[in-house]
Amino acid sequence: MQFEVETTAGDARLGILTINGESLSTPNLFPVMNFYGGGAKTSVYGGGIHRTLKEFMIEADAVGDGSFSEYFDATMTSVSSLTDYNINKDRYDDYLDKPIKEREAFEGLESIIFADSGGFKFLNDGAIDGSDFEVEMDQETIYEIQEAFGADIIVNLDHPIAPDDTHDDRIRKAEKTAQNIHKFLTVSREFEGAKYLTLHGYNYSMMDEFLDVITDSVPEGVLREGFDGIALGSLVPKKDNRSALIQAVTDCRELMADWGMGDWPLHVLGISSRAAPILAALGADTFDSSTHIHNAINGKYYQSLMESTMIDDADFSECDCPVCRSDLLVERMNGNAEYQKDISGAVAMHNLIITKNELQTIRQCIRADGTEALVDYFEDTFGGDKTMRRYAHQVVNKSLGGYFA
Amino acid sequence: MKKSPKVNEVNEFLEIASDFEDPLEVLRESLSNSYDAEATEVQISIYTRPSGSDIIIEDDGHGMDERDLESFFDLGNSQKTDSIGYKGHGTKIFYKSDRIEVTSRHDGTSYRAVMDEPWEKLNRKELPEYELTKNTVRSGNSGTKIKITNFRSGKGFEAESFTYNKIHHYLKWKTIAGSTAHFFGDDEREMEITVTLDDDIDDTRDKLVTNNRLEFPSEQLEPSDGMYPAERMCKHYPAKEIDVEYENGETTLQIVGLVGGKKTRNEFPTYGRHSAQFGIWLAKDHIKVERLNEAISHDNEYIHFFFVANCQDIELSANRETIRNKSSSVYQAINKEIEYYLSKVTQDPWFKSYLEKRKEGKHQRKTAKQQSSLKKRREKVESDGFTPENTAEVLIGLERADRNNHSLSLSVEDHDPTADVDTIIRQNGRLRNATVNTRLTDLFENDAPLENIDVAICWDLGDPAELKEYERTGYFGGEVELHLSNGGFEYRNGDSQYIDILQVDELLTEPTATKLDD
Repeated sequence: MQFEVETTAGDARLGILTINGESLSTPNLFPVMNFYGGGAKTSVYGGGIHRTLKEFMIEADAVGDGSFSEYFDATMTSVSSLTDYNINKDRYDDYLDKPIKEREAFEGLESIIFADSGGFKFLNDGAIDGSDFEVEMDQETIYEIQEAFGADIIVNLDHPIAPDDTHDDRIRKAEKTAQNIHKFLTVSREFEGAKYLTLHGYNYSMMDEFLDVITDSVPEGVLREGFDGIALGSLVPKKDNRSALIQAVTDCRELMADWGMGDWPLHVLGISSRAAPILAALGADTFDSSTHIHNAINGKYYQSLMESTMIDDADFSECDCPVCRSDLLVERMNGNAEYQKDISGAVAMHNLIITKNELQTIRQCIRADGTEALVDYFEDTFGGDKTMRRYAHQVVNKSLGGYFA
Repeated sequence: MKKSPKVNEVNEFLEIASDFEDPLEVLRESLSNSYDAEATEVQISIYTRPSGSDIIIEDDGHGMDERDLESFFDLGNSQKTDSIGYKGHGTKIFYKSDRIEVTSRHDGTSYRAVMDEPWEKLNRKELPEYELTKNTVRSGNSGTKIKITNFRSGKGFEAESFTYNKIHHYLKWKTIAGSTAHFFGDDEREMEITVTLDDDIDDTRDKLVTNNRLEFPSEQLEPSDGMYPAERMCKHYPAKEIDVEYENGETTLQIVGLVGGKKTRNEFPTYGRHSAQFGIWLAKDHIKVERLNEAISHDNEYIHFFFVANCQDIELSANRETIRNKSSSVYQAINKEIEYYLSKVTQDPWFKSYLEKRKEGKHQRKTAKQQSSLKKRREKVESDGFTPENTAEVLIGLERADRNNHSLSLSVEDHDPTADVDTIIRQNGRLRNATVNTRLTDLFENDAPLENIDVAICWDLGDPAELKEYERTGYFGGEVELHLSNGGFEYRNGDSQYIDILQVDELLTEPTATKLDD
């Protein structure tokens, strides 16, 4: 893996992440994608709305003749998604038989695939239950699945923290994660992609303590040798708390510098796509989100990253994205489709395009000289939004030089 | 040389019309006019428009002639002397629109008056004119129809926010539709009021039909069963006319009302919060104007009362929201009379028993709540043992630790929970300033000043990562250095200060000093 920072604007950095011959401009978003959703090859392995999105990704005839693959230059999948579709042992074996990119259905796919470990299922005392396909989901199995997917980026199996965890709870979880890291580094020695270390905490001291616990079991040098990037987790329960998000990412960057990991790429796990500009400005390089899908399922159509309308009230002629330019897809978004997934799938694709285009704009702003372009972007994007603008001001003050400096 | 002051007519019209924002006020004025015209039926329709609302009011009253129409459009030139709209201000609310059309049949003549763009013209500083046409028609079938096109609602008063329910409550609480005149019989006339809303506004029913009478919830003198015995109790105090003498004159006060609990009050069609709607109302034309809650003695909460005290000798402001002759002797006199009347109500044995029942209910609920809270607390003691949840319990823990282990030589000498440095302890014979928290982290979270503290007493330390954040980021401009293994921390803000930590949970678990067997 190679990660080169081309230029910076304040704390925001513009970079190129290269793994296994595929390159990705950062900051960038990994849209969540369930590659295997219970179906067979003919249904692009199924998964409801995920199936429709996969059809967009491979530009299948079923979704018309638009060009969509460019929006899937990065994808996030989770091994735990396999447990969501009640698949049996045979299907499980079939899914792991060949890497995703080597399958005929996904031929020509140029996407950096990030395979999460599914540790978030442990939150609220949950578990990753592999009993449907007779597998015990421990660190070793999780890695085998990540590898079998042919993933480009993988993370160790982790135990995320919850906002009301006590100090003892957090230490216990960090110790369990430390055991997994030990195992992970042992079994993944031959892995050819990038390995990200999961980091948990809401502020510097919590993350620092987490790394202290980890380095009690895995020596610091081994950690630095074994991993290529940081995946900041545990923020899902706080994803609507912008102040918490800002503090966590700012402190994480500071901690990475103090622990000699400052030049590693930083991925923030599971965020709301609306927070993407804030995270990018604070110096997060990549993040994943399924907001475009959830909003589409709830009938929400993005007019911009910050504004959405109910699909029945949307005016598709005002958007020139390939979804809204396609008569076939507009017809579907108007409700004329046999299956709900065809309607919400098209809306999800549109929402994703809006988000990805926004990141393109953010990258252009970072590329411009100084921080002015990015500050202007924040003004335009958040100025009219009363709830978001004070957080935007916080980011401008923390990471982009401030208004009155 | 004598000079007459001038009036800027356009500005006066603008000022008066601007006072009105809520389209519902149009209804209040129209209903009063219809009542004055002796109508028996009034029909009101409201339609929503992009920047306002169209309002149509039609009645079967005696109609208006040319002179009445002049009064309708003129300012302060009312023909009425003893009726609701005698000031000639109310109808100027209609000027906030794009067009006013009035059609009226009166004594065999049909009149039609149309005024275009009144609001725009007023804002252009131009006095709007109206076109009047007359036709002879058959006698009988008198009545008036007023159509207001695109009435400009104020912000927050858009027609879309209406519902039949909201309008019903407004009519009953704020207009002649909620008149209490019927309690006094005599010259009360019944008027049927029908309101129709555009389906876009509210399509839950076809129309609302009501009359001009505010009805009271039924009487219930006895308490109900259960935890809230008084909530539906209700006693009516029948209509009473009182002659009141004042300096240079005499007037009549008409007073009617009830006392009741919350459930009774909920049966009223109130418009707005209960705290702003119950108590003693002063009324004119039997329409409530302003409350006079000071008329009830302070030891009685006004919210249990609903009395309407009507007097035709009070004078109202242009928008009918306030009384303007409060310094007059007539106002003072009726004020005194109302106060006297209510002192009798508050001494009524029934009212006393009502308050008693409320108190009993409250007591019963408190006992039940205590039982369940005690049960939970006892269960917690059994399952978790002694775990302080407040600072007093932490101090109990500290005393207990000292009892178990005399070598600690600790005693609490003074505790003032309201002070920042809340506790003084004696340790090894020396008095020391201390602050108590359940967790040490609370000390910092509560922004406690550290300068005058020798000891921080806590049950436990709280989240160590949180403490470390204070060490990393500082505290009120100073630096914090934790020495937890030595049982203290240092605070440097100009002066350096070492604060001992007394962690009570640890003191309690430390082994008791072995007693020598002598």
